[in-house]
Amino acid sequence: MWQITPAGDRALLVTVGRTIDPSLLGQVLALDRALADRRPSGLISTVPAYASLLCHYDPETTDAARLAASIRQLDGQTDASIPFGPVVDVPTRYDGPDMADVALKTNLTPAAVIEAHASREYLVYCVGFAPGFTYCGALPDQLVVPRLASPRLRVPAGSIGVAGRQTGIYAVESPGGWNLIGRTALRLFDAAADPPARFKPGDRLRFVPMS
Amino acid sequence: MIEVVDAGRWTTIQDRGRPGLERFGIPPGGAADWFAAAVANRIVGNQEDAALLECTAAGPTLRFDADAVVALTGANSPRAPNWQPVRTARGSSLTIGTIAPGLRTYIAVRGGINVPLVLGSRSFCQRGTFGGGFGRPLQRGDGLAIGRLGEHEPLTMPWPESHRLPARGPWEVRVIAGPQHDAFAQGALERLTATACRVAPEIDRMGLRLETPGLRLQPQEIVTVPMPAGAIQVTPSGGLIVLHVDHQSTGGYPAIATVIRADLALLAQARPGETVRFRSIDQLEAARAWRRLTGWLELDQ
Repeated sequence: MWQITPAGDRALLVTVGRTIDPSLLGQVLALDRALADRRPSGLISTVPAYASLLCHYDPETTDAARLAASIRQLDGQTDASIPFGPVVDVPTRYDGPDMADVALKTNLTPAAVIEAHASREYLVYCVGFAPGFTYCGALPDQLVVPRLASPRLRVPAGSIGVAGRQTGIYAVESPGGWNLIGRTALRLFDAAADPPARFKPGDRLRFVPMS
Repeated sequence: MIEVVDAGRWTTIQDRGRPGLERFGIPPGGAADWFAAAVANRIVGNQEDAALLECTAAGPTLRFDADAVVALTGANSPRAPNWQPVRTARGSSLTIGTIAPGLRTYIAVRGGINVPLVLGSRSFCQRGTFGGGFGRPLQRGDGLAIGRLGEHEPLTMPWPESHRLPARGPWEVRVIAGPQHDAFAQGALERLTATACRVAPEIDRMGLRLETPGLRLQPQEIVTVPMPAGAIQVTPSGGLIVLHVDHQSTGGYPAIATVIRADLALLAQARPGETVRFRSIDQLEAARAWRRLTGWLELDQ
C-alpha cells in the first residue's frame, strides 16, 4: 500500500517502501511511467528516488486530494519490473584518496577492494543531491564502510565513492562525505546535452578498472 | 550595456528558475525572494520571466551606457530609492552598497538582463556552475546586455507599502506537516512550532541552518528521498536545514514539515541571529496565502 503525503503546498510524495530494494525502485519507475502516460490534470513534473516519487503539481489546476486519488488508482495496476537496458561501462582509475583507508577498514588489500567493487553490475537508484550525481547499489557486503566523519568541501567531478551499501559517482565538483576510491573520465553531466545527466534511475552500469 | 564597476558580495543573474529538472539533480533555482523579484519586474514593466540581479548583503555598482529604467525591491538598499521606478541617464552609475534590513535586494532593468538561456532559464546555478550568463556570480568588468522583455509601461508610482512583505524578523513562517513526519515521535511538530528557532550563520541559496534552542528532535533514519524547496530537514544532531531554491534534489534527513511556497520569500530575507517561528497550517490556508500575494502582483495602478 503506497503512502501519499503532502510535501508542502504544491507537491505530493508517494512512498512505496522504506528500504533499498530493486523491486521498490521498479514500483517507483512504473508509477512514474504510468503518470507520464496518463498525465493527471495539474501534474507538472516528478522526481524518482529509491522507493519514492515526488509529484509536483499546479495548485491552481488541481489539489492534493484530487491528485492523490488519481495516483491511488494506479496502486497495484502497474508492471513493476525494471526495463532491461544495456549495461554501461564506466572506465575507472582506482586511485582515490581514500583507497588505502577503505582497504584498512575492510581488511582487504587495495587490489581486493578493486576486484570486489568492479566484480558486479550496479543498478542506478537515483540521480540527485547535485546535478548528475549517480547513486548505485548494492555494494558487496565486504565493502560496506561508514561515511567520512567530516565531509570534504570539494570533491572533483568524476570521483567514485562508497558509503554504506551504496556506491556513487560525483558528476560535478561538490562537497561530499563518501570514501573516494577512484575516478572516471566519463562525463556524467552536461547542461548543453539532452538529457543533461548521463544516467537515470533503472540504468545498469559496471566499473571497469583502467591501469 | 551595463558595466559592473563593483560586483558586491554575491550578485547573480536570476529569473523564475528551471523547475522540473530535479530528476537530473538540477535545483529549481530562480530568485530566492520570488515575490520581491516579481514586483521588481512589474515596476519596470517587464515580462514575468525577465532576468534580474539578485544582490546579497552588499550590492554592486553599475554604470549604464544608455538611458534605463530600474527598480530595487526586497531588502532595503539605503543609497537609492526602493520599490519604485528609477530613471538612470546614459553614463550614470547606480550604487547599492550595504543592504539592510533584509538580505537580498533585486535590481530589475526594463527589458531584462539578456544572457543565454541554459536549460530553459537565465538563472545562475551554483552547484552546476552554469547559467547566469557567466556560470558564476558577477565580477568587476562584466558587461550586461539589456534585453527586450519590456511588456508594459513602467509604473509611475512607488509600490504601495501595504503590498510588501516585512524586511526583518522575527519571522512567522507557515508550514504543511510532512512528508516524513512519521519519522518523528508523536507531538514533535507541535514542539517545533512552539520553539523560537534561530537562524545560524550558515545560510545560502541552497538552504538555511536553524538552531532550535531547548529542543532536540530525534529523527529515525530514512532511505534517500526526493525533496522539495521548503523541506525542513532535521539532522541527527537535532538542528534544522530548511531547503531553499538551489536545494539538493534528494536528501537523507527526514523533513518534519515543508514551508509553503509563499513564505519561501520571507526566508530569503532572514539573517543570522533572527528568530523564525513555524506555524502549521492546512492546504486551504496555504492556498489563501498564495492568492493573497499573487493578488498583490495584479495590482492595477
